[in-house]
Amino acid sequence: MTSPFTFKPLEIPEELTPLRLRVRDFLKDIGKDWSGWKVGHSWTGFDKEFSRAVGAEGWIGMTWPKQYGGGERSHLERFVVVEEMLAVGAPLGAHWFGDRQSGPLLLRLGTEQQRQRFLPEIVRGNATFCIGLSEPNAGSDLAAIKSRAKKVHGGWRLSGTKIWTTNAQHSDLMIGLFRTGTGDEKLKHQGLSQFLIDMKSSGIDVRPIRDLTGEAHFNEIFFDDVFVPADMLVGVEGDGWSQATSELAFERSQPDRFMSCFPVLPPLIDDIRQQGNIDRLSARKIGATLADLVILREMSLSVLGQLAEGHAPAQEAALVKDLGNSHEQQIPNLVRELADCQATIERGNRLSELQGFLTQNVPSYSLRGGTREILRGIIAKGLGLR
Amino acid sequence: MSNTMNDETSIGTLMAEQVERLLSREVTRERLIAVEQGTFDTPLWQALEEMGITLALAPESAAGAGLSWQDAEPTLRAAGSWAAPVPLGESLLATWALGSVGLEIPEGPIAVAEGVFRLDHNQHISGTDALVPWIQHCQHLVVVAEQSGQRFVCLLNRDEVSLETVETFARIPSSRVVASGATPVAIAAADNIIGELGLLPALATLRTVQIAGVLDRLLALCVEYGNTREQFGRPIGKFQAIQHLIADMAAQTAAAQVAGLYACRQIDKGNGEYGAAIAKARGGLAATRGAEAAHQIFGAMGFTDEHILHYYSRRLWQWRDEAGSEHWWAERLGRRVLAQSGDELWRGISG
Repeated sequence: MTSPFTFKPLEIPEELTPLRLRVRDFLKDIGKDWSGWKVGHSWTGFDKEFSRAVGAEGWIGMTWPKQYGGGERSHLERFVVVEEMLAVGAPLGAHWFGDRQSGPLLLRLGTEQQRQRFLPEIVRGNATFCIGLSEPNAGSDLAAIKSRAKKVHGGWRLSGTKIWTTNAQHSDLMIGLFRTGTGDEKLKHQGLSQFLIDMKSSGIDVRPIRDLTGEAHFNEIFFDDVFVPADMLVGVEGDGWSQATSELAFERSQPDRFMSCFPVLPPLIDDIRQQGNIDRLSARKIGATLADLVILREMSLSVLGQLAEGHAPAQEAALVKDLGNSHEQQIPNLVRELADCQATIERGNRLSELQGFLTQNVPSYSLRGGTREILRGIIAKGLGLR
Repeated sequence: MSNTMNDETSIGTLMAEQVERLLSREVTRERLIAVEQGTFDTPLWQALEEMGITLALAPESAAGAGLSWQDAEPTLRAAGSWAAPVPLGESLLATWALGSVGLEIPEGPIAVAEGVFRLDHNQHISGTDALVPWIQHCQHLVVVAEQSGQRFVCLLNRDEVSLETVETFARIPSSRVVASGATPVAIAAADNIIGELGLLPALATLRTVQIAGVLDRLLALCVEYGNTREQFGRPIGKFQAIQHLIADMAAQTAAAQVAGLYACRQIDKGNGEYGAAIAKARGGLAATRGAEAAHQIFGAMGFTDEHILHYYSRRLWQWRDEAGSEHWWAERLGRRVLAQSGDELWRGISG
C-alpha cells in the first residue's frame, strides 16, 4: 500500500467495562476534594498517598509478571485504567514514570536482582522514579551529554549535571544516562550507559527549578563523584543510547500525550450551558475538539496494539505525540474563546483554576519528552527525506 | 480474531493491491483531463468491473464479494490516492445500499444522492440534491426516500430525474438532480440500515477515506520533491522549514487514515452516523491542512495547470465540502455534547 504508516485498529472489549467503572468509583471517592488547580497538574502531579492507594488496587505495573508483584493483566486493561485517571486529572506523578517507563525498562533489560528489588516497590506505589536525560548543554541534542561514569573498584563514579528532571526532588531512584566510553565527537551515540541511581546517595544535590507557574516541578541535579555499585548498571554497558531511545515508542504514544488538558472540558461545557451560550460557534468548536480527541485515542490504541505484538512503531508514536501535544495545547485557547474568562484566577472556581494553571503550563507539553522540532525531524527522516 | 475475519482482511488487502497496480498504471494526467472534459473512462471502468472490484461491498447473494466496510477501506483509499477518474466509490456505496435491502443491482456505474427525498403514497419520489457527481455517466441513481418517518432505498433510472450541470472544484461531471414524482425501478424499506440522514454518513465516510488516499499520494510526492528539488545548493528537504511542513502533512495524513477507517468500522457496527461525524470532522481538517502544505512545498510550479498537484488538491477541496463539511459535522457533534452535562463527555468517548 502507498501509506507509510500502519494504524491497525484495536478495540476495547466490553468485558473491560466493569474495570472502568471500578476505577471511576475509586476516583470519585478519592478525588472528591481535588481542586481545579491540583487536577491541572494531571500525570505530573505528585501525591504519594494517592499512588499507594492506586498500588493497593493493583493498578500499577498491571501488565508485569506476578513474580515481581505485577498483575499479568493486558495492555488494554492498563489503558482503561490510565485513561480514566487522566480524564479526571489524577495526580499520577509519584508512580507514573516507574509504571510507564522505568519498570518496563527493567523488565526488558534489568538483572533478575534489579527486578526483584525494584519492581514490587514500584507496584506498591513506594518507589518513585525519575528520568535523567537532559543536561544544561544537551537538550534536544541529547547525544551531546557530557556527564560521565568512571569505572572504579566495585562500581562506578558519576559526575556531571542533569536538568529538567520532573519530580527529582521527590524521587527515590533515577534511571540516568551517562557517558562511559571515550568522548569521540563523531561517535557521540556510542559509549553511553544507563544506571539505576539511589537519589539518597552522597554527592547528589537536587535543586528544584521554580518554573513560570510559581511552582517547582523539574530540577537540576548535580552529581559530585557519586558512587553507584556495579550491579546498578542497566542493560549493557555502552548500549545506553539504543536502550533509552527504544523506550520512546511507549513514552510518546500514550494518552498522557493528548489528555493533559481534558479535565477542563467538562466544566467548560457546563459553563457554556449555564451561560446560555450554545450556538454554532460553541457547537462547532466543541465538536471539532471531540473529533480530534476520538481520533487521537484511536491512534494511541493502535500503537498500543502494535507494541503489544512486539513491533516498534516509532514513527506512529512520534505522530501521536506531535498531534496530541498540539491538541492539548489548544484547549486553553478554546476555553477563552467559548467561556469569556476573566483576567483573574478565581480560587475555588474549578474552571478558572484549571484555566489558570493550564494556560501557564501548556508551553511545556511540546517540550517535554521530545520537542515538537525533534519529533518532526524524526517523522520527516522516517518518511525518507534525506 | 476468527479465521474468517483474517481471510476477509486478506481479501480486502489483495483487492486493494490489485486496484493500486491497475490505477498506478492507467491513471495518467491525460486521462484525468479527458474525464474532466466530459469523456467517461470506459476502459478503466471495464477493467475494474472485470476484476470484480465494483461489487466488493455487495452481498454474495448479489454476486458481490460481501466485504465489510473495514475490509473495503484499503481499496477505497487506493482509489482516492490515484484520484481514480471513475465513480468507483459511489458505485460501491450504491451496491452496498441496494444489496443490504435485497434489491437487484443493475449493470454499470451507479450514482448516489446524499439528501433524503420524499416518497408519496403512489410510490413516487420527489426531492432535490444540489450535487450528484458522475450522474451524467450513470444510468442509475440510488436515493433514500422517506415516507411517514420510514426510510426506503430507491433505485432510480436517470431518465426519471432532471439534471442541471453544476461546477465543482474537482471538475468531475456533476449535476443538480431534481426528482418530481419519479417512478423508481425498485424500492425497499431500510429502517434498520439507513438512519435519518439517509446515505449522507456513508458518503461522508467514503469522502474521508478518499481524502486519506489523496493525502497518502501527496505526501509521497512531497517527499520525492523534497529530495530532488535543489535550491541554495542542496535539496529543499534539507531545510527544517520543509521538513516540518512535511511532518505536519504526515500527521494530517495519519489522522485522516485513522478517521476513515474508524468511520468504516462504525458502519459495520451499525453506528455509521456517529462514525461519519467524527471522521469527517477530522478528515476535512486534514484535507485543508494537507493541501495547504503541499502547495507551499511545490511552490509556483505546483500552482500551474501543467503540474499534477491540482488534480489532487482540487479533490481535497471537493471532498472536504461534500457530504457535510468538517464544520457541519462538528456542529452536529457539538450540539449533541452541549445537550448534556459536562460529565457526559468522557462517558460518550469511553463508551
